[in-house]
Amino acid sequence: MAFSTETWVQAASFLGAGFSVGFGAIGAALGEGYAAGNASRAIGKNPAMGGAILKNMLIGQAVAESAGIFALVIAMLLVFMDVQGAPMIEAWSLLASGLAMGLSAIGSGAGGGFPAAEACLGIADNPPTQNALTTNMLIGSAVCQTPAIFGMVVAFMLMFMDWSGQPLWPGWAAVMGAGLSVGLAAIGSGVGSGMPAGAATGGMARQPGAATTIRTNMLIGSAVSQTPAIFGMVVAFMLMFVDWNGTPAWPTWASLLGAGLATGLSAIGPGIGNGFTAQEASAGIARVPESSSTVTTTMLIGQTVAQSTVIYGFLVSLILMFIPREASETMVAWAAPLSAGICMGFGGIGPGVGEGLAAAYTVNRIARDYEGVGVLLTRVMLVGQAVSESTGIYALIVSLLLLFVI
Amino acid sequence: MNELTHIPHWYLSLGGMRLEFNSETLLMSWLVMALIVAFGFLATRKLSFLPGSWQTLGEIMVGTFQGLVADALDERNRKYFPLVITVFLFIWLSNMLGVIPGLSEPTRDLNTPLAYGVLGFFIAHYAGIKTKGLKAYLSEYVQPMFFMAPLNIIGELSKVVSISFRLYGNIMGGSIIIMVVTDLVYSLVLPPALNAFFGLFVGTIQAFVFTMLTLVYISVQTK
Repeated sequence: MAFSTETWVQAASFLGAGFSVGFGAIGAALGEGYAAGNASRAIGKNPAMGGAILKNMLIGQAVAESAGIFALVIAMLLVFMDVQGAPMIEAWSLLASGLAMGLSAIGSGAGGGFPAAEACLGIADNPPTQNALTTNMLIGSAVCQTPAIFGMVVAFMLMFMDWSGQPLWPGWAAVMGAGLSVGLAAIGSGVGSGMPAGAATGGMARQPGAATTIRTNMLIGSAVSQTPAIFGMVVAFMLMFVDWNGTPAWPTWASLLGAGLATGLSAIGPGIGNGFTAQEASAGIARVPESSSTVTTTMLIGQTVAQSTVIYGFLVSLILMFIPREASETMVAWAAPLSAGICMGFGGIGPGVGEGLAAAYTVNRIARDYEGVGVLLTRVMLVGQAVSESTGIYALIVSLLLLFVI
Repeated sequence: MNELTHIPHWYLSLGGMRLEFNSETLLMSWLVMALIVAFGFLATRKLSFLPGSWQTLGEIMVGTFQGLVADALDERNRKYFPLVITVFLFIWLSNMLGVIPGLSEPTRDLNTPLAYGVLGFFIAHYAGIKTKGLKAYLSEYVQPMFFMAPLNIIGELSKVVSISFRLYGNIMGGSIIIMVVTDLVYSLVLPPALNAFFGLFVGTIQAFVFTMLTLVYISVQTK
C-alpha cells in the first residue's frame, strides 16, 4: 500500500509529539519525586515548619516541571500541525523536533529536583534562612532549565523553518542529526547544572552569612556545566543552516547522522562530570567561605579539562560535516563515518564523568586547606585527568582511523 | 510564527560591497545605549550626602559590582571594574526590553552576544599578557604537557562560543515560549507570568551569569 507524502508527514508529527512528551516526562517526574521525598524527610525532622516546607516543595516542583511543560507545548504544536503540501523532508524534521525537545527535557527536569530537595531540608534545619533558600532554589533551578531551552529553540526551528530548499537526501540525516545532537547533549548538562544548585542551597542553610559568595560560585559552576549542551546546539545549528544541495546522498547521510551522534553522546559525560566538580566547589565554599577564590579557579580548570572529550566529539563532528566524502554506495563508505561518530560519542561519556570526579575530590580537599596544598593538588588532578582521558583519546584515534584510513 | 526566525535588514551599497545591517538589532542597541546614558545622567546629576532615588540605585549597583570585582581580581586589575559593570548594564537592559510590547531584545540576535563574547575574550587575554608577561602567558598553553597545546587553544576558543550561545539560547528560547504559549491560550491569563519569569527573572540571571563569566575569565588569565 502506498501512502501520500501528507500521510507520512502527519504520521511523523504524531510520532514526534509522542517522543517529545514521552521522553520529556521522564526527567521532570524524577526531579519532582526526589524533591517530594526529601520534603517528607524534612518535615519529619522539623514538623513545626511543615507548612513552609510544603509550600517550598510545591514552588520547587513547579520550576522543575517547566522542562516537562516545554515538551508538552512542543507536543501540542506537533499534534495540531498543519501538514498540507509539506515536502517529505518535513516528516523527518518534525520527528527530529520531537526528539530534540523530549531528550533535552530529561536532564533539566531531573536536575531541577536537587535544589528543591536541598531547600526543603535546609528549611527544616535552619528555619530563619527560609526566604534566602527559596530564592536561591528558584535561581538555581531556573539556570538548570537552560539545556531544555536550547532543545526547545532547535525543536522550534526544526518545526517552523522552511525545509523545501534542502534535498531529501541527505537532508533528512541533517535534521535528524540536529535533533539528536542537541537532545542528547542536553541530558548531561541538565543533570550537571542541577548538582551545584543543590549543593549551594544546602550550603546556604548551614552558612547563611556567605550567601552571596556561594551563589556566585553556583552560577559560574552551573553555567560552565552547560557548555557541553552548547556544543550540541552549535552542531545542530550547523546541520540545519548549511545547504546540503550538491553533496552526494551516499554516504553523506551517514556522515551527518554520525556528526549529530558524536557531539550529542560525547557531551553527556562532561556535562555530568562538570556538575560533580561544581557541586563540590559550592559545598566547599559553604564550608570555608574564605577559600572561594582558590576553589573557583581550581573548579574552572578542572571543568575545562573535563570538557576535552566533548571537544573531541565536536572535532569529529566538524570533520564529518565539512570534509567532503566521495560518492559511493558501498557499505564500507557509509558504515565508516557513522561508526566514527558513534565511537567518539560513546567513548566520550566515561572520561567526562571520570575527569569530573577527579576534579570534584580535588576541589573538595582544596576547600578544606586552601592555603597549603592547592598547587600540589592541582598538579595531581591534571595528571589524573590526563590518564583518565586516555580512553577518550583511544576513541578519538579509532574515529580518525575510520574516517581517514578506511 | 515565522517572525522569530526572520531578522529585518537594511542594505547599503558601498563601492561595490553590499553591506547588510540587522536594523531591529541596531535600533534596539541604540535604545539601550540611550537608556544607559540617561541612567548615568540621572544617577550623577545632583550628588548629595543624602542620596536621592536614582543616586541610591546607582550606589547599590556600583557597590555590589565593586565587591564582586574585588573578590575576583587583585589590586592591579581593579581597573576592569567599569568594563564589568557596563557589560552587565547593557546586557541586562537589553534583556529587559523584550518585556515591553513592540520592542525586542538585541541579545536575541546572536551577533550581539557574540560581539560581547569576543570582546571579553580579547580583554581577558590582553589582561593576562599584561599581568604575567608574554612568556609566562604562552607557557600556560603547554601545561601540563606540551602536546596539550592544541586542546588548550580549542578550550580557550570554546569559551567564546559557550558564553555567547548561552545568552542567545536563553533569550531566544524565552521569547519563543512566550510567543507560542501566548498564541495557544489566546493571550489569556498566562502571558504576564511568562514575561515575568522568562523576561525579568531569567533575563536578569543570564545577564549576571554573562558578566560573572567575563569577570572570571579575566581573573583566571591574571592568576
